[in-house]
Amino acid sequence: MRSQYKSFLNQPANWLILFTFLLPSIMWGQNTVTGVITDGQTQEPLIGVNVGIKNSNKGTITDFDGKYSLDVDDLNVTLVVSYIGYAPQEVPVNGRTELNIVLNENTTMIDEIVVVAYGTQRKSDVTGAVSSVKASELQRIPAPDLSTALQGKVAGLEAISSSRPGANSELTVRGTGTFNGSRPIYVVDGLILDDPANLSANEVESIEVLKDASAVALYGARGANGVILVTTKKGQSGKPIFSFNTYFGIQELDRKIALTNGTEYARLSNLAAMNSGNTTLPYPDPEAIGEGTDWQDVIYQRAPISSQNLSVRGGSDKMLYYISGEVMRQEGIVRSGYFDRYTLRINNEYKITSFLKFGHNLSANFRNSNGEPGGIVFNAIAADPTVPVRDTAGRYGDTSVKSNVSNPEAQLEYNAYNRGNEFRMVGNAYAELYLWKGITYRSSFGFDLINARGKSFVPEFFVNVRQQNPNSVLTVTWGNTRDWQLENLLYWNKSWTNHRLDVMVGTTAQDHTEEFLFGSKRDLVGVTEDLLFLNAAGTDNTYGHGIGAFYRYVSYLGRINYGFRDRYSITATFRRDGSSKFGKLSRYGNFPSIAASWRISEESFMPEISWLNNLKLRGSYGITGNDKIPYDRAFSTITNRIFAVFGAGSAEALNFGAIQTAVANATLQWEENVHTNVGIEFGLLNSRLTGEIDYFRKFGRGIITDPSIPAYVGSQGNPFVNVADVLNSGVEWNVRWRSKAGKVNYFLGATGNTLNNEVLSLADNKTEILDGPTGTTLATRTAVGLPIGAFFGYKVAGIYQNEADIAAYPNVGNVVPGDLRFEDVNGDGIINTMDRTFLGSPVPDLMYGFSAGADFMGIGLSVDLYGVTGNKIVNAKKMNRFFGAPNFEESFLDYWTGEGDSSLEPRVTNGAYPNYEMSERFLEDGSYFRIRNITLTYDFPETLLKSIRMTRLQIFASTTNPITWTSFSGYSPEVGGGPVSRGIDRGSYPVARVYSFGLNAGF
Amino acid sequence: MKTSAYIILAIAILLPLSCRQDFLDVKPQGQLTSENYFASTEQAVWAVNTVYAHIRQNALPLHFIGMTDVISDDSDKGSEPNDAIFLTALDEFTLDPGHASVLEMWRTQYTGIARANLCVEKIPEVPGITEAMKNRLIGEALFLRAYFYFNLVRWYGDVPLITKTLNPDEYNQTRAPKDQVYQQIITDLVASIGLLPERTQYAATDIGRASKGAARGILAKVYLTRRDYANAEKYALEVVNSGQYTLLPRYSDIFLPVGEHSSESIFEIGCMAVESWEGRCEYNMVQGVRGIPNLGWGFNRPSDNLVAEYENGDPRREATILYVGEVLPDGSGVVQDNSALINERYNQKAWVPAHVGLQDNGPGNQRLLRYSDVILILAEALNEQGRAGDALIYLNMVRKRARGTNNFILPDVTVTDMRDLRHRIWRERRVELAMEHHRWFDVIRQMEVDPEYMLPRLKAIQPQFDRFDPMKHLLLPVPQTEIDLSGQAMSQNTGY
Repeated sequence: MRSQYKSFLNQPANWLILFTFLLPSIMWGQNTVTGVITDGQTQEPLIGVNVGIKNSNKGTITDFDGKYSLDVDDLNVTLVVSYIGYAPQEVPVNGRTELNIVLNENTTMIDEIVVVAYGTQRKSDVTGAVSSVKASELQRIPAPDLSTALQGKVAGLEAISSSRPGANSELTVRGTGTFNGSRPIYVVDGLILDDPANLSANEVESIEVLKDASAVALYGARGANGVILVTTKKGQSGKPIFSFNTYFGIQELDRKIALTNGTEYARLSNLAAMNSGNTTLPYPDPEAIGEGTDWQDVIYQRAPISSQNLSVRGGSDKMLYYISGEVMRQEGIVRSGYFDRYTLRINNEYKITSFLKFGHNLSANFRNSNGEPGGIVFNAIAADPTVPVRDTAGRYGDTSVKSNVSNPEAQLEYNAYNRGNEFRMVGNAYAELYLWKGITYRSSFGFDLINARGKSFVPEFFVNVRQQNPNSVLTVTWGNTRDWQLENLLYWNKSWTNHRLDVMVGTTAQDHTEEFLFGSKRDLVGVTEDLLFLNAAGTDNTYGHGIGAFYRYVSYLGRINYGFRDRYSITATFRRDGSSKFGKLSRYGNFPSIAASWRISEESFMPEISWLNNLKLRGSYGITGNDKIPYDRAFSTITNRIFAVFGAGSAEALNFGAIQTAVANATLQWEENVHTNVGIEFGLLNSRLTGEIDYFRKFGRGIITDPSIPAYVGSQGNPFVNVADVLNSGVEWNVRWRSKAGKVNYFLGATGNTLNNEVLSLADNKTEILDGPTGTTLATRTAVGLPIGAFFGYKVAGIYQNEADIAAYPNVGNVVPGDLRFEDVNGDGIINTMDRTFLGSPVPDLMYGFSAGADFMGIGLSVDLYGVTGNKIVNAKKMNRFFGAPNFEESFLDYWTGEGDSSLEPRVTNGAYPNYEMSERFLEDGSYFRIRNITLTYDFPETLLKSIRMTRLQIFASTTNPITWTSFSGYSPEVGGGPVSRGIDRGSYPVARVYSFGLNAGF
Repeated sequence: MKTSAYIILAIAILLPLSCRQDFLDVKPQGQLTSENYFASTEQAVWAVNTVYAHIRQNALPLHFIGMTDVISDDSDKGSEPNDAIFLTALDEFTLDPGHASVLEMWRTQYTGIARANLCVEKIPEVPGITEAMKNRLIGEALFLRAYFYFNLVRWYGDVPLITKTLNPDEYNQTRAPKDQVYQQIITDLVASIGLLPERTQYAATDIGRASKGAARGILAKVYLTRRDYANAEKYALEVVNSGQYTLLPRYSDIFLPVGEHSSESIFEIGCMAVESWEGRCEYNMVQGVRGIPNLGWGFNRPSDNLVAEYENGDPRREATILYVGEVLPDGSGVVQDNSALINERYNQKAWVPAHVGLQDNGPGNQRLLRYSDVILILAEALNEQGRAGDALIYLNMVRKRARGTNNFILPDVTVTDMRDLRHRIWRERRVELAMEHHRWFDVIRQMEVDPEYMLPRLKAIQPQFDRFDPMKHLLLPVPQTEIDLSGQAMSQNTGY
């Protein structure tokens, strides 16, 4: 063998043959293009720029000196260079081996890649209304919940936040179009989730909020409330980049509610007693009482919030990886509450062969939390200020006698063990096959597994007769949720001269099960944590319960996106959804959409207008669904546990009973929303001014509600039917000015929307939905012509000044001078429930945000502002005087003092008619304007960083919610609630002000 | 190309995975559905139990109490002046077709009827059910359906007569004439007498289920209301002759826990206070002492007129009415004065001793038909047929028991004039059955029998009966929403 080989090489002609064979492999493997990538304006090298080869998986990133080195198959490839914030470029190599590239800052956003339903698109090809938020903007708000950071960032999105540890914000996209579940769905790396609470801002690359039909119709029966698309960070080829991000913050109560102090409370209580005819005053000497107890000081504290995140991302041409670990901790501003979260994420992608990729996005997290004692926020507002926290003998003061609430400090001792812990794994594994001529097949299997446990313990204690627990009680809950989703999608891209076609077709299936267990026992043998198990109960009085849920979806979907000359673009989507939540006859529905866009600025007939860089018109129309109702509503279920009692004396016992108690509607279907959207996008003055303006109309039809059927049918509860219509419409804007003044880069942004919400029809047999329990009545009325959940009650015409007034104006009897005089709205000379009328809307008609930022020599400053106007809030906690005499809000001090007093605050009474009926008295303006966040950053100069081998080192200080301007008297004008009962403040958990500082490092 | 073939194959396999036809056939979890119910004898029993449970849970008992006692001359609203003022509209006859109680009582009777109808429809086809069990359960359901219709027809007159589960295209109903409703009630009760066992044939754990005696007793009352005195006598006598029932020696015991399901009880709805709250009723709470020592709501205050109706020394007054300063029946305390209440007194028959439940987890059974009621029906039926002598025997049986061992009170009645004796029997009914929710039905029945006697007596009660109009108020209004929801197919009663 050896000799033979030698002889082969000994012949010069064979050398030539060998060379011919080797040549291609040398050319494939050994051509290297190198170069430096710099900023077009500063000429500074850019670090971490992606340099890839077009139509290939290969790529690299630039190093600290902006240098890259990339092996290419041949020297005729085209390099694709992209960097966040800069316009991407495609540069043909044309045989060169050294290629320096200059990138210019992208101020137009035009050629960004945005994530859309089941894929990605160039921003310029997008025909729908999509708002993107980048990770860097999310990280400024210290909150465990990603959605909190979206407030004011996305036109058309309303976020009502809460600072309760671990709480999610309530999001509404383009107005509430349903009486049922109104939250948007989240799609995290393609996985549809109802609750994204496992995500941290550090792990997120970008968020896209999909709003119009063209964007959401591919989510079919679940798209109507909007879609929040979350893309987590992925690996990038190149050297590993470690990032360490941390912050520490202090949260504090923004403002206390103005309440009466001890003396004032005593004085008002005396008045109330006199006004109800008592001659003996409860407090003979109010002045002697003094300040008394400020119960708000008792329960609130300054509470820390912190997060540490360490991640590494990198990759080779075979594998990309992103691994992130995080510890997040938040204590409540109400004592005893906390939330800790430990997160691990591994997002990897493996290139198995040139045509097969495999990857996974996996997240595991563990949460520990403790809830504050139930009702403590309200109790601290209501508690009697004349009672000390503890008396001189050390016993807890009795706040139940007068104010009928528990002593908050005692609650913190006895009712503060409300533990929760949750383990959740969410993720998906996918394979992508490049098949043939632009056809790619992607199959993905996703899952969401949640194991949530809760444990509450109340020891045996005695504070007073009404605040006591004679037998200790332990309650344990155990919930298990399992969801899997399977997706099979085929993509086809094809470009010809002037034409571009993207096609996607696919099927998906989803299966969701839940089970919840509940057990409770009394008389524990001890109180220490090691004994808080159900088997440590001393007696056999037990209670156990469980409940399950199970639903599935099957869907078929497709999209065609056709572009002509980069000017005209048409997108058509279609989804057919099958859902087990609905009856056999009605479980499939079709959700189509069509959209088009026209980039006028690319037209040849457009004269060369120097100040116009981009002008795009787009419009869309389509249908989506909302199925956020209980999974079993279409079934005629048998109601269990309707017990009869038979037997006498010792034979007396419960006898199990079960029967169908309500008529069900087997043809129940999802609610449909018809979306219409017209938008304009522009870039002016060398793209310094960019923006988008959209008009939207979301017409909800077949909204599920339960119009009455005759009672003689004998159904307990009316069947739910698809019957009502609701309209939301408005204008959204997002405008940004970005420029430079000397060495200062700065931008100004404005975002916002108007919103008009109206119920167009309910049902023949249902004229109104009354909800929003407050005091002794219902405060909201949803009816045709009104916004959903409109406030409903009496208009205040004044105060009865004297007996002549009472004689002159209609009244219901039992009124005396100093009582509220209601308007006789229907003019029938009688004041009764028929005179209750529309008082205001809980829905803001304008939501707006401003942002501004500047940076100079590494110092950056950004400011975010947010406001809403046009909505009202019901101060229900002030109305709550029917049982006992809770502490008075300061507004009571303006009480009517006698004839001629123009005050609209009636005489002081405890819960008597008519002063505590739902009326304008309790309605407050919900408008507010807030400095949402101010962040000051400093980036250490690269020259310094290089010497310590770091790529980035930023320190920052930030304050969130430092100032809120509002006339609302409660803690925070952000008051949520369900679709038909929002905006009622019964003592909501306050939204905190936060001061935080931290650092972001890369190395 | 070979690879491509594998790929195509993979797609072919993966795509249909999500397309299985039965993939979406998911059932509710932990819940039976109507498609698979009534599949066993056990389920048939469960279904019938829910009809009894429905009487126990009977909306808020305030509505029932309002439309039986507060509206009558026996009692007033009670509680604090401004609390539950809808009861005042009943007490003073200012009610209109939108009144809450009028709708709630209508609704709750029909809800019970719908459950009974389901049982009557489905139980015959239950696989494996024995003939005896089938008969008993259908008998119970028919009895209960008749009970609900008997309430309806007396309150509202003509009412929709629904004897099967309605389909959505049958939701527009008209009111069936009163006579037709009564005919159905009689048919159901006669059938149930044939199907049901006697009370003592039930196992101890089943006491409280409808029996032959209960069906006969209600039927006697139905015939009395219809003024078919021969049939009223017949069925009342069947109760008496069955030997199943005796009067308790001491009247006050009937309403104590020891009196639950006593030998005097013909139909009684069981309640019990357990930690799960699943046997509760609010009946005791809403009528309980408002304040110390009971913390009840204090509704249904016995009226001055009722107090005056008792003969001197009648111990039934003390057993019926709880006064301020009175020692509780179990000796556990004294009723304290509550200054917020006017003319404070309470329905002692709804009183229960301290119990393990909280206030709205009351344990007291509701005695719906007692033996003394049937005896007085018998007395009245005999008298109306001109057999005063026989009638006196039964009337004096009731008085004798009330008298107990005290021979100085409640002497035997000896009147034999039919009209006088009628009035004596009615007075006896009133005091014997006071605050037991029979009074309104007796008032309207007696108004029809003898208006000259009744009307002046009622009108004398001021201001409660000031607006009382016998041309209008002997029937309550049909709930307005029901007329609207029937597609205006139902008419309203005269005067509303």
